[in-house]
Parts: sequence; C-alpha cells; structure tokens
Amino acid sequence: MEIDYIENEVSILQPPAAQRRRIRPVDDAHPFDLDAYISGYSGRTALDRLVHIISTCPTLAPQALKLAFAQIEELRDPTLYQTVMNAYDAVADLPEVQLPPTSELYPVNTVWCEEVTKKNQAERTKLEVELKTYSNNMIKESIRMGHRDLGDFYRATGDYTQALKHYTKSREFCSTSQHVLDMCLSVLELVIEQRNYSHISSYVFKAEGALDTANAAAASNSTAGSAAPPPKRSAERDQVQSKLDFAMALFHLGQANYEKAAQLFLKIGPPDSLGDWIGKLVAPGDFAVYGTLCALASMSRSAIKSQLTGNAIFSAYIEQEPYVRDLTQSYLSSDFKNVLELLERYSTRHYVDIHIYSHVYDLTNLIRNVAVVLYFQPFQTIRLDRMSAAFGWTVDEVEKEVVALIQSGQIQGRVDSQNKILKARKVDHRAELFARAIKTAAEIQSTNRKLLLRMRLQQADLVVKPPKSRREQDRAAELLQVD
Amino acid sequence: MNQSGLPTPPPTSATSTTSPAQSSSNAAGQSASDVSLASIVATITSTSSPSQLNQYLRSCASKDVREVLLASILPGSQDPLTLLNTRDHTLGMLYILSARLHTVASDKPLWHHIESFCRDFIPEHARVAPDRVTLLATGIRQLAEVEGNPKLAIAPLSDLLAKYPPTLSHLTTIHPIFLTICVATRHFSAAIPVLAHSITTIDLSLSDLTYHDNLVYHYAGGIALAALKNWSAAEELFEICASSPGTAASAIQMEALKKLVLVQLIYRGKTSPPSKYMHPILMRLFKATPYASFTNAYPLQRDYLRTIVENEQQLFTNERTLGLITQALDRAPRWAIKKLTTTYLTLHLSDIGREVGISDENKVKSLILSMIECSEISAELSADGTVSFSDPPVKFEKTDVDRVLSQAQQQDALLVRLEKEMERNKEYLTKAVKSKDDAAWGPAMDEDGAFGDRPSGNWAEDMSFA
Repeated sequence: MEIDYIENEVSILQPPAAQRRRIRPVDDAHPFDLDAYISGYSGRTALDRLVHIISTCPTLAPQALKLAFAQIEELRDPTLYQTVMNAYDAVADLPEVQLPPTSELYPVNTVWCEEVTKKNQAERTKLEVELKTYSNNMIKESIRMGHRDLGDFYRATGDYTQALKHYTKSREFCSTSQHVLDMCLSVLELVIEQRNYSHISSYVFKAEGALDTANAAAASNSTAGSAAPPPKRSAERDQVQSKLDFAMALFHLGQANYEKAAQLFLKIGPPDSLGDWIGKLVAPGDFAVYGTLCALASMSRSAIKSQLTGNAIFSAYIEQEPYVRDLTQSYLSSDFKNVLELLERYSTRHYVDIHIYSHVYDLTNLIRNVAVVLYFQPFQTIRLDRMSAAFGWTVDEVEKEVVALIQSGQIQGRVDSQNKILKARKVDHRAELFARAIKTAAEIQSTNRKLLLRMRLQQADLVVKPPKSRREQDRAAELLQVD
Repeated sequence: MNQSGLPTPPPTSATSTTSPAQSSSNAAGQSASDVSLASIVATITSTSSPSQLNQYLRSCASKDVREVLLASILPGSQDPLTLLNTRDHTLGMLYILSARLHTVASDKPLWHHIESFCRDFIPEHARVAPDRVTLLATGIRQLAEVEGNPKLAIAPLSDLLAKYPPTLSHLTTIHPIFLTICVATRHFSAAIPVLAHSITTIDLSLSDLTYHDNLVYHYAGGIALAALKNWSAAEELFEICASSPGTAASAIQMEALKKLVLVQLIYRGKTSPPSKYMHPILMRLFKATPYASFTNAYPLQRDYLRTIVENEQQLFTNERTLGLITQALDRAPRWAIKKLTTTYLTLHLSDIGREVGISDENKVKSLILSMIECSEISAELSADGTVSFSDPPVKFEKTDVDRVLSQAQQQDALLVRLEKEMERNKEYLTKAVKSKDDAAWGPAMDEDGAFGDRPSGNWAEDMSFA
C-alpha cells in the first residue's frame, strides 16, 4: 500500500483543521470509474468532488480537470477555476507525480468568466437594492425573501460566510414555522456543502423544533377541516425527516462517532424522500458506503444482521454499490480475509469521497480489530498461523495485531510467543471477587480515615489560606527550608 | 499501623493524678508589682490547682518582664529548677523551661533538666498551657541547633510527644517539629512509633495548631516513610498533605504532590487519578513541571526518561527529589516487564529486552530472576532463555476475610458513633430544625442520612464494583 502524507494546502473550502491526505492509486487492483461516479452528482458538489479527486488520484487528475472545467461553466462562480487549478498544480508539483501543466490541457474560458462576473455584480446590486427597499418599507415577508435570495446568490457564487449571514438573518423575519424549516434546510445544505460538520447539529435541532410546531399547527387545522391533508403532510414530514437524519448522521461521522452515525444512516428513508438532495449533495450509493462502513466498525454482529441486512430500505441503497453487499455477507459469514481484501480493493473509492475520506483509515482499523476479536471469540486456544491464514497476514503481523488488541483490552487472552499460540485468559471469578472485596475494604477504610481527618481539619478551620502578611510567608519558607 | 482510624491510647498512660500535696491560699493574694522569681517559685510550690497556677503565671507582671523573670535564676545563683520536681510542679517547670529556652541572655537549662521533664511531666497539667508546650518544643529544637547537634532534640521531643496528647491520633504542634528534626538528621526510624498512628483527631484546645503544622507533619512523615521504603504509608501521608482543605494552595502541598507522584511510580508503576479534594491549581502547576513529562513517559520510554533526568538534574537535586527519581527510573523496566505478563504467556529474553529497551540479555535475565525472587511476577525461566509467565497464585485464608470483616465492623461502629455525635451537635440541630421549618425536612434528612441511618453492614453498597 502506498501511503504518503501531504499537507492539505489544496482547497480553501476545507475546514481549517489540517487534514492529511493520501495519494491513492487507480489500477486493476483498485478499480474506480470516474465517469460513472461523477454522473451521480450535479452542481457544486460534483465540482467539490472533482477537486478532491484531482488531489487524491494523480492518475485521474487530467480527466477530472476536464470534467471540472466543464462543470464550472454550469455554475456561477469564476473563482472556482483558480481552486481547481490550485489543486491540480499542487498535485503536479509532487516529486513522484508526472503531469502535464494545466495550460497545455484545457483553456480557461475567459469570455465566460468576464460575462459571469459582470452578471453576478449586476444581480448582487439588484438584490441588495431590493432588500434595502423592503427594509425601508418594513414588509416582513419581503425582507425574509430578500435575505433568502441574497443567501442563495452568495451561495451560488461561493461566498459561504455572506450566505450564512443572510440565511441566519432571514430567521428574524420568519413568520411561520415552515419558513424557519426552510431556512434551516438551506443552512444545512450550505454547511454540508462546506463540510462544516460541527455546525450541523444545532440547525438540525432547530429544524426539528420547527417541524414539530408546523405539525402541531397542521394537526389543529386538519381537525377543523377535512381529513384529506394529514397524509400529505406526513409524507412531507418524512421527507424532511430523512434530510435531517442524513445531516445528523454526517454530523456524527464528522465527530468520529461511528455508532450513532451508522444508526442514523440505516434509518434514512427511501431515496425519493431526500428530494433534490440526491445528486445535489449526495448519491444513493454513498449511503450504502457510509452506513455499511460505520456499522461494520461499530455495531455488534446481531445488530448488523437485524438492522443492515434485514433493512428493506437500505437494501435499495446497497443495490447502487454491489460490492458493499459482498462486504457485509463476507463479514457475517466470518470470511474476514475477503472483508479485508474488499476494503483494500475499494479503498480508492472510499478515499475519493469528500465526506468519509478522513475516516477511512480509522474505520478500516476498527473493522480489522472487530474482525480479529470476532474470529478469536469461539476459541480457547488457537495457533497464530491459522489466524494468519484466515486473515491473509504474516504470523508476525498477526502477533502484533493481537498484542495491540490485548493491551487495549479488547481480547481477553495471552500470547505464547515461543510457540505462536493465542490462549484465552482463564479467570478465577471467586479469587477475583475476594481480591476485589479485600482491596475495596482497605480502600474504603483509608478513604474514611482521610475524610474524617479532612472533616476535623475543616471543623477546626485549619485550612490553607492565602498568605496575609509577610510573616506568614517567611514562616512557610522557613518550614520548607528545614526539610 | 492503626488501620481502624480509632484513637489509640498512648503507650505510657501512667496518668497519676496526684496533685501537689501542699496547699496554700496566698496564690491569689500576690500583687502584680512586687513579683520576683522567688515569689513565683513560692507560688508554684504552694498552689495546688493547675488552672489557678496557670492563671497566675500568665498574668503576673507584664509580658517582657515575666519572661525575663522566669528565665533568671534565684539570688545566690541557685537554679530554681533544682528546687522543683517534675512530678509535683509540671506547670511551673514548663513555664520556666520554655521561658529560659527563648530568652536570649538567659542561662540555658541543662539538658538533663529538659530530658527528665519530658520523661516525667504530668500531661494533664501541661495541657493547661498548650502555648508553653509549643514554646518548649521549638526551644528544644533551637537549643539543639545552637549546640550544633540537632540529634540531641530527638529523644526529649519523642518523650514529650508520647506523653502529651491523650492519644497519638491527636495532632499537636510537637508533631511537625519532631518530624522535621527526624528528617533533617536522617533518623527516620525514630519517627516510626509516631507515624504508626494516623492522625484522626484535631483538638485546638490541646494545641495551638495552624494549617502549617498539619501540612508539615504529613509532608515530613511522608519523606520519612519514603526513605524507609514504606511506600504505601508514604503515599497516604503525601496524599493527605496534598489534598488538605484550603482556599489556596501551599508550596508544601506542591512539593508533596511531586513526591506523591514519584512514590506512586515506584510503588505502583503508574499514578492514580488525583484526589478530587486536591486544589485544582496544584494539578495545573504540576503539569508544567518536568515531573509531569516524566510521569507520562513512564515506564516504557526509558531513553526519554533518562534524558529528562539528565537535563533536569539540577532541578531535581535542588528539590531533593533526585533519589526518588533515580529509584523510579531503576524500577521502570520492572513495570514494563510486569505489563508484558498480562499479554504474553511465553517470551524469549531477547524479546523482553527489546520491549523494555535493555539490549544486554544477561541483564534482562538477572532482572527477571530478581523479580521472580521478590515475587513481583510469577514466571519460569528455561535453559534456552524462554520465560513462561503464569498467573500469580491467589490465596485467601479464612482469617484474612475475618480480619477484613471485623475491621469493617469497627469502622461501621466508629461511623455510627460519629453520626450520633453529630446529631447531638448544637450547630447541626439548629440547622436541621431550621430546614424543617423551611419544609425541606425530607430531602435534608436523606442527605444527612448518608453516613449512618442505614442498617449497619451495607454501607459499602454504593461503592462501585466496576
């Protein structure tokens, strides 16, 4: 496995935390179809993903650059040219990478740039004037829409801070909870696009609050009116709920809280419930990857069986990425060698994903640890060479892995290093209980004694006080010198 | 060590309450203006009640005059001390001795007077004037230092300390003085009888204590026990010192914390989480010291540990911790090997050497052998250099269990007694009644009931068995 760290100086869109990135190979052993992959996305996220691919897979960089340039012209942000080219140049500068310079590949469409810049300028002026007029007239609804439009505009032109400012400002002028919900969803789209995961949770909570109020209002309306509206309402709710689940799952993933992320990914509704977020932010296949990797790394075998393989909605997502099904099947049938091979084979697919790439290494490690633990579980003793055959590692690797797991307390066993045997630890519960009882007794007694002294000291007011005068300080110094 | 925390009677509780035979009435009639040492001595010999005599000795003449008078000798160069005897005139002699020890120009009392006084004085009488006892103790230390032989002070102070408090579980001002002398002169074993009783009682009427006395006693005690390699007891004393209550942190506590951590490294191979009563600033300050990096690297990164010790040698020498640091460093490979026993069943000597960073196989071998001898690990060493670790045999005798149970019962009884004392306490009752008036009786009772109330025996229920 080629592993190389380079500092992430590529994308200005990244959160400031210095993420390390790996250069991934794309070859027969690590298949990856760029065209098929990118066709699942549209708009800004497609471009972001292309930028990420440029800096991750040098072999695909020229092709991705071409696609990115084509994509830019469908957007409204000329600065993206610079972003893409920076990413490309950074990769091309690496010593082990041979790439033709950008100027030789595809020309920058300067005419388009100027045009779009001019158009953007005009539209911004127009929107700002409109907003000003509305503010002067004090029309609440129009002010909200003015802020919302400006937010949309800034988002399209890539100024995320301004966009966020206008979106949040529009909240002050919301008159119904539906408006609040819309605002929250816009912000969520924005922060997910920006990959600013830590912000997600607060807007999800706000949106859920707004959703509850909206539902309560709808319910009270529907009791007064006909019975027709409620089902429609709840379908809408499902849709929003799926979006919120997805956002929340990304939040947990961003915090490396894999178990919660897995549960939420597995809870997400059918693809059409996510509306325009499919493609605009995420592809259905991504759910399969995110959900499965997180689940394998963090959930118990039975939970995986019931929640992942027995989940009809999630199966629909898995259809998009058939290898994920193989992965789960191999895992459940304890064919861990295959699991690890699949993970390695599709590692490029995982590393090019903009949301999960920084967790792939940890997730892979976790899955490997779980696999070793699960494998050893039924055994009292096992030869390490059998384990090495089952995992496709050398005996030394197995030993290192097992020792690390024993030291972290995940395997209750000991290694016979001379004969290369792993033995489960036998615990004498009776002796352990006695030992603990006696130890605890001694500890309680000592604690009691110390607490009583402490109580008495406090009763007598013999507590350490800050020095009041010089004399006391001298005394303290003198006492220290004595010993 | 007195495990139960109960007050223990002093070894020499020969508390003869024989009051002086002579009784006279002229004690109170003395005028303050015409006092002389002769009249004082006369009053001492004639007054029977210690408290009356104390009153007189405290109020005759102005303060400066009184001390000078007490420190002078009788006309005809006769020493007043020869006229008095310790059994009958404890209080008088106490005043004269303490005054003479502290007055610059006076003739110092002879050592045999001090020694005989400390041996034979009647504690009940001396307790009337706790401040003079403190003066006497500091005076003895000063005198010994002036004479250039601090060791002289150990014997009289030890006698004084053994007799003066009602039990050795009471803290007195003599404790820290005695302990610092023991430590300064490196007579650590002299302190063992005192340190064997942990302090559980504070009585301000017995001794005019300050918080320094508490800190210094436990700190110096910790040093003495650490020097005697009684690690567990040293750990406890350092911890008491470091986690003493207070609104500020003392420099002594900081030193105690450093030594506490080192003792834990030597004794346990790792540090235990700091007591929650410790002043937060102590831990913060500690994190900035080289001790913290030493602790973090312990025990596996031996080369790094050694560099710390080399770089900070001057600091460790100045802070008098180099000895503990070196011991901790020497024991580091032992802890590393001990960790290996939980992971491996068998391991070759060379592998062990690689894990703990010792390249010489023979050294590893001798280390393993000495660890087996001290039963720190249970292992077998075969001829080809393979070490097989086994679980340490666990044995519990019925007597052990019975001992623990009876200790627990004692502790319970002690707590019940304290609880009852607390319930009789006027302050507590006032508060309890007040909270009853505030209609908050129920929850208040629950909180107060945390100590006793429950049927005896299950007070340990809420201890987590995690």
